[in-house]
Amino acid sequence: MSAVTAGLLLQLTLAAVAVTIALLVAPAWRSRATGLASAALAAVGLATGLAAMTGASGTLTIPVVLPMDALTLSPDRLGGLFMAVVSAVGLIVSLFGMSSARRGPEGSRTAWAAMPVFLVGMQLVPAAADSVSFLLAWEIMTLGSTVLLLADHAARASVSSAGIWYSAMSQLSFFFILAGFAVLAGATGGTSFTAMATVEPGSFAANLAFVLFVLGFGGKAELVPLHVWVPRVLPEAPSHVSAAMSGAMVKIGVYGALVVCVRLLPEAPAWWGIMIMVLGGASALYGILQASVSSDLKVLLAYSTTENMGLVFLGLGASMLLRSYDATAAADTALVAALLLAVSHAAFKATLFLGAGAVIHATGERNLDRLGGLGRRMPWTAAAFGIGAMGAAALPITSGFVAEWMLLQSLIHGGRLNGEVVSVAASVAMPLAVAVIALTAGLALLTFVKAYGIAFLARPRSPEAADAREVPVMMRLALALGALMVLALGLLPGPISEAVLATVASSGAGAASSSADTAVAAIGISGVALPGIGAVLDPLLLTILAALVGIPVLIAIVLSAAKHPARANDLPWGGGGSRARPRMQYTATSYAEPLVRVFDDVLKPTRDVQVTHVGESRYLVERVQVEQKVTDVFETRFYRPMLNFLQRFGIVVRHVANGSIHRYLTYSFTALLIVLIVVSL
Amino acid sequence: MFDSVYAQLVGLCTGALLLTSALMVWRHTLLASIRLLSAQGLSLAALVAVIGVQENEVELLFVALLIIATKGVGLPWVLAHETEAGARAIKEAPRLNPTASLLIVTILTILSYIVMSQLIGLGTSVTSHAAPIGLAMVLIGFLLLISRRRARSQLIGFLLLDNGIATVAFLTSGGVPILLEFAVSLDVLLVVVILYVFAGRMRNKFGGTDVDQLRELHD
Repeated sequence: MSAVTAGLLLQLTLAAVAVTIALLVAPAWRSRATGLASAALAAVGLATGLAAMTGASGTLTIPVVLPMDALTLSPDRLGGLFMAVVSAVGLIVSLFGMSSARRGPEGSRTAWAAMPVFLVGMQLVPAAADSVSFLLAWEIMTLGSTVLLLADHAARASVSSAGIWYSAMSQLSFFFILAGFAVLAGATGGTSFTAMATVEPGSFAANLAFVLFVLGFGGKAELVPLHVWVPRVLPEAPSHVSAAMSGAMVKIGVYGALVVCVRLLPEAPAWWGIMIMVLGGASALYGILQASVSSDLKVLLAYSTTENMGLVFLGLGASMLLRSYDATAAADTALVAALLLAVSHAAFKATLFLGAGAVIHATGERNLDRLGGLGRRMPWTAAAFGIGAMGAAALPITSGFVAEWMLLQSLIHGGRLNGEVVSVAASVAMPLAVAVIALTAGLALLTFVKAYGIAFLARPRSPEAADAREVPVMMRLALALGALMVLALGLLPGPISEAVLATVASSGAGAASSSADTAVAAIGISGVALPGIGAVLDPLLLTILAALVGIPVLIAIVLSAAKHPARANDLPWGGGGSRARPRMQYTATSYAEPLVRVFDDVLKPTRDVQVTHVGESRYLVERVQVEQKVTDVFETRFYRPMLNFLQRFGIVVRHVANGSIHRYLTYSFTALLIVLIVVSL
Repeated sequence: MFDSVYAQLVGLCTGALLLTSALMVWRHTLLASIRLLSAQGLSLAALVAVIGVQENEVELLFVALLIIATKGVGLPWVLAHETEAGARAIKEAPRLNPTASLLIVTILTILSYIVMSQLIGLGTSVTSHAAPIGLAMVLIGFLLLISRRRARSQLIGFLLLDNGIATVAFLTSGGVPILLEFAVSLDVLLVVVILYVFAGRMRNKFGGTDVDQLRELHD
């Protein structure tokens, strides 16, 4: 039995053990015991994933009674990478949950029993080697996450509504994926991935399956316009669950898309790449726009997930487009960049959601307009959230920067091959993509400056924020692990880049290209070079250089400040007040106000201003209340009309199915007669 | 000698089957329907026995005894049990008037002849020539299910439908293996007992078994 097989078996066993523990152990010890078991499950998954990623192979075959092939679990390098990613997220989420989900509905027996189910589902999807086990693991994952999401449904009505949206969108995704597999299985006569990969490139079946898969996996990966569940579900779920959903489950959607584009249908025509790029670009822009104007911390993070997944798909689409024009070096680089982006997003978004969870744990608030000043009271959370926010804003020394740098390099240099223009489509698409990334990066910076600055700096805007206390040690440990991961991926990108490149080179599309082994090269442990493009990045060296320049300057500033003692400035004109009160500070809403005005046409905000005057005078104002709501355009313009139509249709159709058994029998009888008549004609 | 009578005997039995089916649509009292059902069960048993004698299969004679026991005596007895007096009083207010339903029975019979001749060909043997009767019984059973309001009357439609299926089986393939026949008969018996108990409960609870009233619960 190989190591991978043993690991897979151990994962299944541990999942069963964890569920049993959750069901049996007394409430006082439940969160600790189940959390530990889940962490063990995640750790084994991490080890299995890393082994598979570095080339170990192993197969676990589960025979089934039903008349179909046995379920086969056999992760390849790509699957191993994603198994490792979701397990790493699962590990820190389990640790966090041990402390955060101790009592209340989040710590209930059902919620804790669903946690290992969710984790093992996510781990098994990348291990699946045939469509049936893929779909089975996919459904296990969806089931686990739905139960976890609904933990708090009794107390808050919005959770139930989120649950309905989530279930509906999940089933829609599942339907599209199932249909895609069915088309491929019908065309090739097999349900295993190797059999399906023999489908004729460019055939109608391949095209149809591709579109279905993009709709299905795009829904899970939160692409516009299938993202509507995201701003409802991720904020309403318990924070450690949102971290697992955004950090890990969404990656499974990306993995699905990669399986399709790299493994099943590697020979992609150009329009596939363009379609993915358009979807990705639109998601990136729309996601970050919504995130930048949101004043709810978790909604902000949820929309930012859509943005990041948009960038991943942009890279994937660029890679497909470039490969269809034989610009393989740039194509491989773009694919590696997309994968790195996915990995780094898992690290920083899990950290950010856990940070948001810590804030909620300490204050009970997720509205940024009521937070503030948490940096001094919760230094650990503030530091971890800050590092995560830097990653999300793609600043240097974090993982997000390396990935976006590589993506930009491949896009900038991708349009040309040996000095020749590759194609008109590529030379139009690439600069546009660069522009999209540039705008996205700028808005992301603004968004996370707002998120960090309003929540953790300045002065508390509410008594809850003023009374906040640092979270317990287990939550701090999880946050620290996440933040360290962000930094490690950003400062030492060499090993992970090589590993990711190996997964690209070993599978489907990458294996066909000659340059796949050399598209990215590690320099030492910290540097990355792109020989096919001619670019080098060494974050550690850059940091040391910056420090060499910066530290003397800092020392000089500090020395000169010491010479001139600080002056106490009072307000030059206080308008009656002496000091600025917390309410005079910038809020999240006011900070984003210029953006809301600029993108008014896209965001369609609704504003409500209520002015209360003092007595009879219209010159003296007692109170001004401003309420601003930004709705999701896709929901109000696309989903709502469709749902309304369906509801009207349902009301009309109710007469057809009125509960009378005679009517149903008449339907069957009529159908039988029609069949008989048609057959005998 | 038997050969000459065989065709006429088969015709007689199948004719009795069709006649009882049509009468069931026509008559409205529950007791009359139960008696007709019993007569139909006996006709079916006779048909099986005739086929058994012609084909020299002893097994079929046992099947005929089984059918007499279940469809001829058992089921009607269960249905008539404890409501002997009540059944006389229970009158069905059907959703279709007798004339219209008899007309539909005619159309269904013609349809089943057309369908069977197109589908499998009427062939030359006596039994396959009579096979459309079985299909006609199935369709008439369905019609009863649709047109009757009370749960017990619907039960009779269901049993008629079952008899039709059995008739088709015997006429086209000389019957199913005895074990299967035994199992199916027991199944039907069980279903009838359950439905009967259910109908009794319904009557106790709601004071009637008009299925139309059930949708009130739904809305």
